[in-house]
Amino acid sequence: MTRGAYLAAAAGCDQCHTDIKNSGRPYAGGRALETPFGTIFTPNITPDRATGIGRWRLADLERALRWGSAPDSSHYLPAFPFPFYNGLTDTDLVDLKAFLDGLPAVFRINIAAAPSIFSTVWTRAAITIVAECFPGPWQPDPIKDPAWNRGAYLVNTVGRCGDCHTPRHWLGALELKRQLAGSPAGPGGKAFPNITPDSETGIGNWSEDDIMNLLKDGQTPDFDFVGGAMAEIVKNTTRLVDADRRAIAVYLRSLPAVRSEQRAAR
Amino acid sequence: MKLSTKHSVLAVALTLILAGLGGVALAQDKEAVLKNRETLMKGQAKDLGSIKAYTEGKADMAQAETSAANLTQSTKKISEVFPPGSAATSSDGKYGTKPAIWSDWNKFLDAQKNAASKADALLVAVKSGDKEKVSVAFSDLGKNGCGACHETFRETLKN
Repeated sequence: MTRGAYLAAAAGCDQCHTDIKNSGRPYAGGRALETPFGTIFTPNITPDRATGIGRWRLADLERALRWGSAPDSSHYLPAFPFPFYNGLTDTDLVDLKAFLDGLPAVFRINIAAAPSIFSTVWTRAAITIVAECFPGPWQPDPIKDPAWNRGAYLVNTVGRCGDCHTPRHWLGALELKRQLAGSPAGPGGKAFPNITPDSETGIGNWSEDDIMNLLKDGQTPDFDFVGGAMAEIVKNTTRLVDADRRAIAVYLRSLPAVRSEQRAAR
Repeated sequence: MKLSTKHSVLAVALTLILAGLGGVALAQDKEAVLKNRETLMKGQAKDLGSIKAYTEGKADMAQAETSAANLTQSTKKISEVFPPGSAATSSDGKYGTKPAIWSDWNKFLDAQKNAASKADALLVAVKSGDKEKVSVAFSDLGKNGCGACHETFRETLKN
């Protein structure tokens, strides 16, 4: 497996950009996503020159992933987690481009969002995007060990855990002081649990192995198997190598413990 | 006239009482069904736990074999604890039943059969004594058996 293929699998690009329900071709888009901005249909990211991203140069992919900006300078809705992908490293962008260029091209015309979503929704999206912090390409912390650094990158950039597990303030941007402390109303309006190491309300009593089991099989410490929103993420984390799952566990357990209403499984 | 009025009043009263009793009976039924459901699921979790403990060297093979044998039986009983009209929220308030269980009953049975066949495979693996095989079969049952069914048929009320 190439580095780009591994990165795409870890991020789960195929989960959103494939209309799995209707047996769509991989990465050809068309999956309907219910978002706070209305129903949108994910775009075709195969190298088809007419309907996919076959004409994109590396700079186009960089602008899309890091800044949410399309080649024609229109903006993507933050349902596409570009505020997280802002932290992608230059090497990873190059690897990802090589991987996407090598995919079979599929001709599938993108479905535009319903025109009704463009008025208020765009205002709301624009405010969120402006309010969001864009940290730029991720830099390792030289004081911390490599596993911690790898975990930080996987959690905050590639895995975009904060998209669901970090609460948002009234402008819709992430509340970074309460990073991963759970959200009362994440995607789909549902509550998402606190995954900081708080022993009362978070995953403070989960061992490294407990976290790794969840990421590998979706198995909680009490031997339930997740089926909600996390089940879709487990489809990505199950494809990681053990060292990367351990890195995620190391990083999560190092976070400041935050007390929160959004209790984790015990 | 008077008698017939009396009769109809009586009939209405009786009907109301019976309906009330029926409601109580149904509620008790629902409670019993939910209890059976949670007992079955928690039993499966316990069995899975002891098999995992075996792969980690924390439990012996005999225990794992008993648990795997239990799972081959209990997975076949899943549909029994979801009779029609038994939509309910779990006692911890975390999970609910998706209507698809009953509107797509055959698909639900397929999901059960899928889990049951993975439980059979897990028992074979445990009997082989090869922990590597047990780990693979365990993941397959958990993720693609239990987890896949939860994804389609279990409502997550609180993630």
